Amino acid sequence: MENLVIQTEKLSEWVNEIIKKNKVFAPVKETDFSNFKIVNDYSEIDLSFLLPMVPAKKILFKQTETLFLFTPGSKGEVKSKEISDEKLVIFSIRSCDAKTFSILDPVFLGDYVDPFYKKRRENSILIGLSCNKPNVNCFCTSFGDSPASRDYVDILLTDLDGKYLVEIVTERGKKFIDDYKKFFASASKEDLESKEKVEKLAIEGITRKMKLEGVSEKLGKMFEHPIWYENAMKCIGCGTCTFVCPTCHCFDMQDESTLREGARIRVWDSCMYPEYTHHASGHNPRPARMNRVRNRIYHKFSYYPTNENIVGCTGCGRCIDYCSVNIDIIDIINEVGEAKL
Amino acid sequence: MVDQKQLIKTAKEIVSREDVKYIVGYKQGTYGFVTSPAFAYTPEDVESFIYNPLCKKNLAVYPILEEKLPLKRGEEEDKRKIGLVVKGCDSRALVQIIQEKGLVREDLVIIGIPCKGVIDLKKIEKRFPNQTEVVDVEENDNSEYIIKIGDTVHTIPKEELLSEVCKSCEFPNPPLYDFLMGEEVEVREKEVYSGLRGLDETPIEERWAYWEKHFQNCIRCYACREACPLCYCKTCMADMLDPQWIRRSVNLSENTAWNIMRAFHLAGRCISCGECESVCPANIPLMELNKKLEKDVKEMFKYTAGLDTEEKTLFGTFNPDDPNEFIM
Repeated sequence: MENLVIQTEKLSEWVNEIIKKNKVFAPVKETDFSNFKIVNDYSEIDLSFLLPMVPAKKILFKQTETLFLFTPGSKGEVKSKEISDEKLVIFSIRSCDAKTFSILDPVFLGDYVDPFYKKRRENSILIGLSCNKPNVNCFCTSFGDSPASRDYVDILLTDLDGKYLVEIVTERGKKFIDDYKKFFASASKEDLESKEKVEKLAIEGITRKMKLEGVSEKLGKMFEHPIWYENAMKCIGCGTCTFVCPTCHCFDMQDESTLREGARIRVWDSCMYPEYTHHASGHNPRPARMNRVRNRIYHKFSYYPTNENIVGCTGCGRCIDYCSVNIDIIDIINEVGEAKL
Repeated sequence: MVDQKQLIKTAKEIVSREDVKYIVGYKQGTYGFVTSPAFAYTPEDVESFIYNPLCKKNLAVYPILEEKLPLKRGEEEDKRKIGLVVKGCDSRALVQIIQEKGLVREDLVIIGIPCKGVIDLKKIEKRFPNQTEVVDVEENDNSEYIIKIGDTVHTIPKEELLSEVCKSCEFPNPPLYDFLMGEEVEVREKEVYSGLRGLDETPIEERWAYWEKHFQNCIRCYACREACPLCYCKTCMADMLDPQWIRRSVNLSENTAWNIMRAFHLAGRCISCGECESVCPANIPLMELNKKLEKDVKEMFKYTAGLDTEEKTLFGTFNPDDPNEFIM
C-alpha cells in the first residue's frame, strides 16, 4: 500500500490531532519503565523504553473488566454493562505486542465471542513503531518475525533519524490516515532503503535465538522430563511472567458487592498460582510448582500450536527480563530441542 | 572477597553428607549481569557455584518454598537437611523464621557469607544496557567494582551500583551459620536509609500523591510476597475469599490495601534484604514502607528482627510499658 514520511517535529502535531478524535494509548514514563496509558497530549509520551512493562494486551483485554452490574438480595436485579463505542488508537506498539492480538483472536473471537474484546478490536487502530535497538532478551526473529514487521499493525512508523517512514499496511490504516494527509509527504526510494538498513541493523541487534524446530512434537514426549523439576525448584511461584506476557490470557471471575450494589468482574489470573486449579473439592490437579512451571511452557509451545496452529509466544522477552530467578524461556525451549529421549 | 574455592569446597563437603538433601547457592545466569539460584544434589553440581556482588537473591526463601506433597503409599518423608548459602540479611531471615517456628534450626546447614553489600541489578543494567554476554564482577579493596565486559575493564565506585538497602545495613555478618566464609566484615558507620525522608518529612498530600502514583502501577503479581522469606503464611490474606479482605479487582483502592497490608504484616519481622523491591516489576519503593515500620518498631519497642533464635517475636510479647499513643 502507500508509503509516506512525516518529519519528526511534525509527529507531535499529528498525534495531538489524533487525540482530538480518539482515545489514544501510548507509552508513558514511570519510575525507570514505561506503561501504556491514555494520553491527552503528545508531551506525555515517552518512547525511550523499548517495551512498556505491561504489554498492549491490557488495552483490549483489560486486567479488570466489569462484565455486568447487579443489586444484591432477593429483589435484586441484573444490569448489563454497556460497551463503549469509542475509537481507540494504540500508538507506538511494537511488532511483538501487536502480534498478541492475532494470537488472542482465536480465544476471544473463536467459539465464544467476547463482546468487550471484539468491540475494542474492531474499534482500534494499531500504529506500530519499528524497534531500532532491540533489548537483550528480544527474540521475535526466532518466529520469523522482524522488529520492523508490518505484519500485525495498521500503520507502521520507522524512525529514520529526522523523519519517520509511515507505511500504510491495511485498508483501515489507509482510511484512518486519510484524515491527516496534510502531515505527510510521499516516501522516496531512499526512505525505503533507509528503512531496510534500519531493519537489518535491528535484526542483527537480536543476539538470542530460540530454536523451535520440532519442539511442539517433542514436548509431547517430555511430560515427565527432569527439566520441569529443575526449573520448578528455583521458581518462587509469583505471577510476574504471566502478567507481563503479551499472550497469557487466563482469567478469573468474581462477584464483588457491597450491600447495595455489585458487579461481576473478570480479572487476569495466573497458572503460576496453586489457587488457579484448586477445585472446590479440595483436589488440585496441578498440586506442585513443577506442574505449573511445565504448564506455562506447554500452553505456549505445545497446546497452542496444536489447537490454533500458532505458537503462543511473540518473543518479547519480558518473562525473562522480569523473572527474579532467571527462569529463561529461550534456554528451556533450546534445552527441550537438544534433549535426548 | 569471598574465596569461591573455599565456598565450593565447603558446599561439596556438605552436599556429600548423608543427612543433607541438597544445597542452594548461586550460579551464573543465562545473560548479562543476571545470577541464578543453583540447586546442588551432588559434589559435581556444586562446581557451578559462584559468589560475587551480583548474588543478591535472598535464598532463605527456598526452605520455605519446599513442597510437602502428599506421600504415596509406602513412601517415607525425606527428612534430610537443606544446605543454604546466606549473607547477613538472608541469615537474619532464617533467624526470624526459626523464632516464629516456621523452620527448625536442625533442618538447615548454613554457609554464612560476611557481606560487603550487593549490586542493584536495575542500577547496573541501566549503566550497561543490553548486556548479553555473561559478565564477571569483583569488588576491590578500594570500594570499587571491577566489571569485565569483553576486553574492557570498567572500574566503578561502589556507591553508584550498591543496593540502597545495603547502604544502611547494620548487620552484614550472618548472625546464624554453621560455616563462615572468611573473616567477619567490619560494620561501618551507616547512613540513614535514603527513602525514609519521604515518609517522615514530606507533607501528607504530597506523600499520598507519591504512593498513589506507585500503587496504581501494581499489577498484583505478588512477586513481592513470593520473593519474601518472611511471607510464608499457609493462606495469604490476599488469597482468602471468605472473608475477602482484598478484592481481586486491580485498581488503586485494592492495590493500596494490598501493599499497605503486606508492609504491616512484616512489621517487626522484615529483615531489610530488599528482595520485595528488587523483584517488583513496577518498581514500587516497597522498602520505604518496610524501613518506616522497622524504624517505628525500633523506636517504640526497642526491637530488631532476626538477631537471636531464642528471642521472642515482637508480636509474641508485650510489656506493660509499651507505648500506646497510637491506640485510639
